[in-house]
Amino acid sequence: MNVASLKLLTRRPPVIIASLAMVTVLAFLGVNRLVNRFREQEKALARHLYEHGLQAQAAGQAERAVADFRAALSYARDNFDYQLSLARALRDTGRTAESETYLISLWERTPQEGAVNLALGRLFAREGLFDKTIQYYHNAIYGFWPGDPETKRRDTEFELITFLLQHQAYPQAQAELITMAAALPSDPGLRVRAAQLFATSQDYEHALAQFQQVLRTDRDNQAALYGAGQAAFHLGRYRTAQGYLRSAVRRDPQNTQAATSLKTATMVLDADPFAPRISDAERGRRVRSAFQMAGERLDNCAKANEIDLSPRSPSGGLPALKAQWLEMAPKAAKLRPPRNDGAQDEIMDLVFEIEQQTQSTCGTPQGLDQALFLLSQDRNGVER
Amino acid sequence: MTGTGTAANPGTGSHPPSLPAEGSALKAGSRSWFTLSTSREERFFLLLAVFIGLFSGLAVVCFRLAIDWTRISLLGPAPEPHSWRLIATPAIVGLIMALLVVHVFPLVRGSGVNQTKAALYIYNGYIPFRTAVGKFITAAMAIGSGQSLGPEDPSLQIGASLASALGRRLELSRERLRLLAPVGAAAGLAAAFNAPISAVLFVIEEVIGRWSAGILGSVVLSAVSSVVVVRWFLGSEPLFRIPAVGLVRPTELLAYAVLGVVGGLAAVIFAKAIGYLRPRLRAWPRWTQYLQPAAAGLIIGVIGFLGAPQVMGAGYEYMDQAMHAQFTWKMLATLALLKIVATTLSFVSGAPGGMFAPTLFVGAMLGGAVGGVERALYPGLTGSTATYALVGMGVLFAAFLRVPMTSVFMVLEVSGNYSIIVPVIVANTLAYVISRGLEPTPIFDLLTRQDGLDLPSLEEQREQTVLRVEDAMRPAPTPVLEAQSSVEQALRRVQDMPGTFLVRMSPSGWGSTTSDTLKRLAGEGKGEMTLGSTLPIRNLPYLHPDLTLEAALRHVYQVPLVPVVHRADFRRLEGVISREDVLEKYKKQEGD
Repeated sequence: MNVASLKLLTRRPPVIIASLAMVTVLAFLGVNRLVNRFREQEKALARHLYEHGLQAQAAGQAERAVADFRAALSYARDNFDYQLSLARALRDTGRTAESETYLISLWERTPQEGAVNLALGRLFAREGLFDKTIQYYHNAIYGFWPGDPETKRRDTEFELITFLLQHQAYPQAQAELITMAAALPSDPGLRVRAAQLFATSQDYEHALAQFQQVLRTDRDNQAALYGAGQAAFHLGRYRTAQGYLRSAVRRDPQNTQAATSLKTATMVLDADPFAPRISDAERGRRVRSAFQMAGERLDNCAKANEIDLSPRSPSGGLPALKAQWLEMAPKAAKLRPPRNDGAQDEIMDLVFEIEQQTQSTCGTPQGLDQALFLLSQDRNGVER
Repeated sequence: MTGTGTAANPGTGSHPPSLPAEGSALKAGSRSWFTLSTSREERFFLLLAVFIGLFSGLAVVCFRLAIDWTRISLLGPAPEPHSWRLIATPAIVGLIMALLVVHVFPLVRGSGVNQTKAALYIYNGYIPFRTAVGKFITAAMAIGSGQSLGPEDPSLQIGASLASALGRRLELSRERLRLLAPVGAAAGLAAAFNAPISAVLFVIEEVIGRWSAGILGSVVLSAVSSVVVVRWFLGSEPLFRIPAVGLVRPTELLAYAVLGVVGGLAAVIFAKAIGYLRPRLRAWPRWTQYLQPAAAGLIIGVIGFLGAPQVMGAGYEYMDQAMHAQFTWKMLATLALLKIVATTLSFVSGAPGGMFAPTLFVGAMLGGAVGGVERALYPGLTGSTATYALVGMGVLFAAFLRVPMTSVFMVLEVSGNYSIIVPVIVANTLAYVISRGLEPTPIFDLLTRQDGLDLPSLEEQREQTVLRVEDAMRPAPTPVLEAQSSVEQALRRVQDMPGTFLVRMSPSGWGSTTSDTLKRLAGEGKGEMTLGSTLPIRNLPYLHPDLTLEAALRHVYQVPLVPVVHRADFRRLEGVISREDVLEKYKKQEGD
């Protein structure tokens, strides 16, 4: 084949197309290699900047972290972790509007991502937007979590409940807790945490149940013993509370709160004139003692508040109670259970009335007065 | 170097080589593609457009990598204020770049759009391959070192240059070669923007200047091919991550209208600054051209050093941040102003680089700022910063580059959100009208005229009054004769009246005659015969009133009187037109 015919051949359209296709393939391969190498370098650079940002964040340098995360994102703008870290760092620097915009745009792309929803929930919690906070926390709880999703969902649930409790949304917190507790594993730590939150939400019944469940497998669990004692105490089950608190104090004598609660519970039980299985003499002694204590409480409270208890003062309030107390004093002195013609109940009614009135005037009582006040709160409900 | 040192003067010793004349390529032999049938040639050209798209896409991918690599190497991975590197780098690189531009690549100054247009209209599609290489290197250096310029216009020129080189290599005809420049330009721009529709529209609006079915297919194919390549290598993500945008209440259009007004004014200031400074700097002594890019770089570096490194380079990541409300409105307004200053300096200094990205940057910042102020004054407004920034981009694009259609589609393509179209159209239209009112010459036309060239402008073509047949026609001379009439009857009607008479033929069509012709026919004994059977002139060409006078010109030179007929009823005569009528109308228009 001579040069002329070769030249002629190269001018044929199929040959031209084939040649161009070959050049294209070769160029593709070359550019592909170049792009891959460059992308690797960019990834490494982004990783370096990201780690730098994390270090800055850990050191409390939020602004530095924001700059590093932004720089990292300019080399790997699809990286979810970098984007989320930037949004969190922006939130930490107080730039909630920027953080929100960033997170919302992330959320629009990955509405199922638990981490994004959690970050949004935390952001709205910080801004005090109650409904939005709950919405995104719920999204996070039911969202997608790569790697140990159960733990992350549970942690989110705990966080949401804590938020609700901080905002005194007790019914909502209790509802969340009941749902979560039903699916809790038998880990004592988690049970104790849930029980403590039940107690904070003032659902002492569920709190006690959770603590008791822990104690069935771990009888020496100090937190459970103390928590169960406190829950029982709040439920008015002073006998049960006494048992748990006594065990708690025995295992940890340094637990002063347990010791105080135990002392109060014991005092309530010792002061209760309606307690079963006590002698008539003891019952009479308790009624008289309570009557005497209420009188002193009334005098001290009036004195502290400069209230005149003399018969000349206007009727109603503490002076009226004082008048009733004085009227009741002879009956109390002559009280001989069980033949008392209802005087015992009459005296104790007055005692409880005095304790409640003085509590509202002079604040929470101490010692036996506190025990009488607790008895007055739920006279029939007290566990005997 | 004179002021016409770019496209106007393709450089010393770089005149186009002898191009194959149309049809002269038959030397290639009978089996050469030049001798293929027209349809096969068309198919081959379309296939060639695909390859041009692929090559342009690959070149743009490399170009973007080169810019990124240069930026990382020169300014560091995370440029921050108060770093001396920000001041030193653009100045030093500016000096080296100026040497390259003056001595090695004299055609690479400026954006590249006008050079491509000049190649199409003046140099028969010829763009030296050296230009592509030079543009690639110098623009990457300029943008990577922090000059306030963008990569899109250079990509457009690189694409056009590659296409031209390929066309020359294949020894295409002059006409085909001329068409290849816009095909490559669309591919380069589409790859740079990752937006094929906007690229095609821009090339049609700004480079080709007219809608032509012959080239549209090739332009679209090349643009799509290049975008496929770019997405293959760099991902299919749009340029910006746009948060959810939309228009909640129609009354909020007023807020966007305000943005249109502000954007229009900003575009005028931007264009006037470039238009004023560019010829003056070029008129300075030749030795200053070595220093101008360095001086511009120094000033931009100082701006970056003092706290606004965002204005350095193309700034896409900062536009993204602006859309995500990461700047206050005051910061956004400051950045818009500084970017206008920085881009003006970079561009007039002769640094190679484009104006697309800076225009988008200014638009995004300005939009965000106007939106921020409006929301502060009227908290009820629901538009987000992203919405305003996005509309702002379109506004500046429409008002500064004067490409209204491209601006609308560009916003839609980069946002992928059609719900924003109404605010975009409202704001863009206002901005375009204000800009056109205050600065009649579009920026690209201004630059070509400063370079001593006169290239066609679609905007000017749009503005021109188009003369139509109805403007020049006159009432038909009476009587109008019928083809069924006998020669005697016709002669009685016209008597000795001078001039030409129209004859309505049956069942359709028109003919013409004169009284002399009729007398001659009667003298020949054909008085009883019908006009239709005896007339020498039948089937006259006819026109419609809405046709242009240019279309009429073809016919008025063939026959003395052309009937103008109704489009729905060709037998209904609206008037007549002659060569004299057309010329009279043109004369009158010139006089006006």
